[in-house]
Amino acid sequence: MKNFDEYIEVKGARVHNLKNIDVNIPRNQLVVITGLSGSGKSSLAFDTIYAEGQRRYIETFSAYARQFLGSLERPDVDKIDGLSPVIAIEQKTTSKSPRSTVGTITEVYDFLRLLYARAADVYSYKTNEKMVSYHDDQIKSLIVESYDNKRISILAPLVRSRKGHYRELFEQIAKQGFVKVRVDGEVVNITPGMRLDRYKVHDIEVVIDRLKIDEKTMASKRLKDSILMALNQGDDVMMVLAEAEKKPRFFSRNLMCPTTGLSYPNPEPNNFSFNSPKGACLECNGIGSIYKVNINKIIPDPQLSIKNGGLAPQGPQKNSWIFKQLDLIAQRFNFTLSDPISKIPKEAMDLILFGGKDKFSVANKTLGLSREYAIDFDGIANFIEHQYKTTDSSSIKRWAKRYMDKIECPSCQGTRLKKKHCIL
Amino acid sequence: MINNKNIAELSAMDISDLSDWIKELPSHLSSKQYSIAKEIIKEISVRLQFLLDVGLNYLSLNRSSKSLSGGEAQRIRLATQIGSELVGVLYILDEPSIGLHQRDNQKLIQSLKTLRDVGNSVIVVEHDKDMIEQANHILDIGPYAGKNGGTIISQGGPKELLKAKTLTAAYLNGELAIEIPKKRRKGNGKFIEIKGCTGNNLKNVTVKIPLGMMVGITGVSGSGKSTLINETLYPILNNYYFNGVKEPLPYKSIEGLEHLDKVIDINQTPIGRTPRSNPATYTGVFSEIRSLFAKIPEAQIRGYKPGRFSFNVSGGRCETCKGGGLRVIEMNFLPDVYVQCESCMGKRFNRETLEIRYKGKSISDVLNMTIDEAVDFFDQIPKIYRKLKTIKDVGLGYITLGQQSTTLSGGEAQRIKLASELSKRDTGNTIYILDEPTTGLHFEDIRVLLNVLQKLVDKGNTVLIIEHNMDVIKAVDYILDIGLEGGQGGGTIIARGTPENMVKNKVSHTAKYLKKELF
Repeated sequence: MKNFDEYIEVKGARVHNLKNIDVNIPRNQLVVITGLSGSGKSSLAFDTIYAEGQRRYIETFSAYARQFLGSLERPDVDKIDGLSPVIAIEQKTTSKSPRSTVGTITEVYDFLRLLYARAADVYSYKTNEKMVSYHDDQIKSLIVESYDNKRISILAPLVRSRKGHYRELFEQIAKQGFVKVRVDGEVVNITPGMRLDRYKVHDIEVVIDRLKIDEKTMASKRLKDSILMALNQGDDVMMVLAEAEKKPRFFSRNLMCPTTGLSYPNPEPNNFSFNSPKGACLECNGIGSIYKVNINKIIPDPQLSIKNGGLAPQGPQKNSWIFKQLDLIAQRFNFTLSDPISKIPKEAMDLILFGGKDKFSVANKTLGLSREYAIDFDGIANFIEHQYKTTDSSSIKRWAKRYMDKIECPSCQGTRLKKKHCIL
Repeated sequence: MINNKNIAELSAMDISDLSDWIKELPSHLSSKQYSIAKEIIKEISVRLQFLLDVGLNYLSLNRSSKSLSGGEAQRIRLATQIGSELVGVLYILDEPSIGLHQRDNQKLIQSLKTLRDVGNSVIVVEHDKDMIEQANHILDIGPYAGKNGGTIISQGGPKELLKAKTLTAAYLNGELAIEIPKKRRKGNGKFIEIKGCTGNNLKNVTVKIPLGMMVGITGVSGSGKSTLINETLYPILNNYYFNGVKEPLPYKSIEGLEHLDKVIDINQTPIGRTPRSNPATYTGVFSEIRSLFAKIPEAQIRGYKPGRFSFNVSGGRCETCKGGGLRVIEMNFLPDVYVQCESCMGKRFNRETLEIRYKGKSISDVLNMTIDEAVDFFDQIPKIYRKLKTIKDVGLGYITLGQQSTTLSGGEAQRIKLASELSKRDTGNTIYILDEPTTGLHFEDIRVLLNVLQKLVDKGNTVLIIEHNMDVIKAVDYILDIGLEGGQGGGTIIARGTPENMVKNKVSHTAKYLKKELF
């Protein structure tokens, strides 16, 4: 054990071109191994010392665990003494995944996520107002402050922008002892058998309490109880409507925009991760860019006719279903496939590129009858995009990519996150 | 939103700005927010500081790790490791200084020293002069490469190293040096001019690249060298000459394409990593050798085609080992054992194939030749000779034709690649683009490489080198320096001209370091 503290002893290393060398490498020092390219530097550092360190580490696992790890070759060396745990920092270890970024590999982004989830101010993406969350006592004092000497109703929202007749709901509310509800902005009494238009969108709030705020309110239990009741009924959200005012104000135990009532769940670090479905932009799945069909690549030269290969993915005319469809479209819009693409009416081009359904009849003069033709065309651009998204074959994917451009994702502008989280 | 920034805006900032922002943050937070955020802020700023310490101030968090260079990725990992604050660990690094401008090199060395000072051992495989001079202990392996290497020729502190009689020492103490060419070439007076490049951080760059000389593109890491050359110029040229598919980054116009007729790019991607790949197959010389063997009368009598002499398809190879020469014996949870194939004795071919001999050597004997031997052996066959000669010229005369690619060192693999590109017939109007060709090369190797490149330029070709290594920069005919800093602080051309003129520039970081080398 004499000098393990000072040296890593390598005895008889013969990996690759190493000639049975013995070497003592001082510990806790900065050691440089140099020499000509191919002289055996890497063989000593990586293929001997690092390989042995790794192997010994793996050996500490049970035989059962090792079979999953794959085994490491024992380097051709007689003995290495005084080896510490080894970490190699090589150059080829970068991940090629498009999801890996500087932020994720350094883990700085993980901390930023945490910071934003816990300490950020939230702004509504609709109104750009700061969003707030309250606890019950705060709501109480806020109401007392801002509605001094006013008559207010305390409401608990039950239904927000949903269709239905809600007969059972009204019955249930009535059973709990409430007498008034606010339906689509109108305060009404609950009547037996009350129901709404089933096919319209409704907002329903139950009126919990109506009271006047004055200097005594703060001390009394009534407001506090009503708030509690409203929050319980409204699933942590309540509204306050002052008499003679149209717009209610929202209060929530969660984050909420006070004017629109737009509510977020309390942010979690996940919401800021573009690798989690909770945070990733839905359009690009958190990649930040998407492939989109580029019309200019489908029609490289508008002076060319469809017949002569003006539509690059189709090539020149052949006897195929697609060209029959194109021919139908041409008849419908009164042009021919030998016209240059620039001459084709825009409507027709839209149909060719983005698809659509159409019916028309063609009169056959010689026979004196007319025949109905149905056009049901997917559209070339749509077809390419569909192929790109669904195919398993890499060659079709490559084919589709030829007519597509990689562009910044339009819905998240390359930020990779859902818009509502991005603004947090 | 925190302090008027959302998380996406923060990800887009470069690390030095982000670090400033984090430092200022506490003063913008309410006391409640601060008490929550305190620990997180501390953690973030520590990590950012490590990244700054290794010279990565120009990166931003949303930069995809795909687009990082090998050196950058390695330094990120290094920063993470320093952050882990383990002690008693042995760290092994492979050339961390790659892709690093001289200016940032010192930062890197400092962070390695920090790693050592907290109680770790650090082993670095490195050629960089500064790193060698500041190490505690140096192992010099050699004396030459391949079969002629593999022994420790000197060991000790930097001072002892200087006294040793080794190649490394000779370059360090100035006995040997990479020479500065006495005359800079004037070029052929023609230019390629590319106007209005705006990709990544480039700020509407318009640049004239003189042809017929060796042009060095310099600048600190992240200043936009690769963006300009690899992402803009090369795709344009490749589109123009070979109908390449890669879209160049935005630019306005390019002139002078008619002065060239070919572009060859030699980048850092590694060559094949399968044991069946070897220098002979990679450079394509093996196909020629196989055709040669098929033309031998004896082979013609037996009707052998070139495929007979391949160890990758059945026919001529040894079927016991499928042409590998080795057999793997799986030991389940013990390491796999490789044994020499018992039926061909490691020769990889079957008996009938080995009976065909050229100048008394079978195809297996040829694979076991070193390049040096093979050059003499095939001197009558121009096609083969030329390819082998280029491999020899890049200083790889010692490797054998059949050496598995997996056993080649990084520098060797890169030079094989270089050789296979160089052996393609140059037209005299070819432009070669090299991205840090000195990666993994010793001083002596760099000298050899430069000789090859100089020869190419002498024939009228243009060589464009993206490089940090001062030994190379001082040897080029014309320098384009991009800067001033990395990231958003870069993206403009700040200096151009011959090395002698360029050093007069007061602001360029490259000029400052180049001055030391030139005078």
